[in-house]
Amino acid sequence: MTATAKPDPLIHPITRLSICGLLAAGADWVEFAALRDAAGISDSVLSKQSRVLEDAGYVQVRKGAVGRRPRTWFRLTAEGRQAVEGHLAWLTELEEAVSASTRDAPQASPLPGDRDQPRRVPPPLLGST
Amino acid sequence: MPEVTGDPTALEQLRVQRGRLADRIRAPWWYLAGIAIMWALVFAAPFGSRYLPRGISPYPPILVAALAVASLLKWGQALTTGMKVGFRNLSYRPGRPAGIAMLVVSIAANGSETSLIRRGLLVAAIAVAVLAVAAEVAAQQALLRAIRQDLRAGGGAA
Repeated sequence: MTATAKPDPLIHPITRLSICGLLAAGADWVEFAALRDAAGISDSVLSKQSRVLEDAGYVQVRKGAVGRRPRTWFRLTAEGRQAVEGHLAWLTELEEAVSASTRDAPQASPLPGDRDQPRRVPPPLLGST
Repeated sequence: MPEVTGDPTALEQLRVQRGRLADRIRAPWWYLAGIAIMWALVFAAPFGSRYLPRGISPYPPILVAALAVASLLKWGQALTTGMKVGFRNLSYRPGRPAGIAMLVVSIAANGSETSLIRRGLLVAAIAVAVLAVAAEVAAQQALLRAIRQDLRAGGGAA
C-alpha cells in the first residue's frame, strides 16, 4: 500500500514522530522500556506523549505485569498507522527535494584570493523546526 | 490545521532509532536451545511411529509439545526483547527464504528418516535428524536476521 504523502500536525513533534515511527517499524507490540531506550527519551516524556497519541486514537496501550513488575505495551492503531505512513511519505518527499536542490545548486565560484578557503555550502532550502 | 514545517533530518534520526530497536532482536542461548528442542521433538516423530505399538500415532502429542515449546519461546523472547513479533508465515516477504528452507528441510528430513528407519539404518536416521535440527536452528537465525533488517528498514513504512 502506498500512503498518501500528508503531514500530520499531531505526530509532527519529534518525540511523537519517534514513538509512532518506531511503532510502525514492524513489531506487533513494543514494550515501554524498549520504546523509551530506542527513542532516547525519558519515562515521563514517553508517558505524556503516548497519552496524547492514545487520546487521539493513534496508539493502543495495554498494561500488564510480570510478577510484581508492571509492563506497558504499545501498538499503532489502523488510524495511527495510516497517519504515520502519510507523514513519513511526506518527510521522504521533503528529504528528496532537499537533497535534489543541494545536488542541483550551482557551485559558488571562488572569489579572488579565496582558492585555499573551504568550499562554501549553500544554505538549506527549508529550515528545521 | 496549524502549518507544519518539515525537518528533513527527522528521518535520519528515525533510522538511527529503528536501528537501536532492531538490535534488540537477538537470540539468547536459551532461545536457540529451545528452538533445537522443538525441532528435535518434530524429528523424533518418525522414530516414535516406528517403535510405538500399532495404532498409536506419535504425531499429535509431538505437535502439541512442539507448539507449547514455540509459544513459551515467543513469550520469553517478547519479555527479553521488549517486542512482540507475531508468527511469520510464508507471506512475510523478508523471511520467505528462511521459511521455505525450514519447510523443505523438515519435509526432506522426515521423509529420509522414515525411509532409513524402514531399512534398519537407525544410526543414519539419527544423523539425519541431528543435521536437520542444526539446519532448522540456522534457518531460524536467518529469519531473525531478516526481521531485524526489516525493522531497521521500517517494515515498508518509509
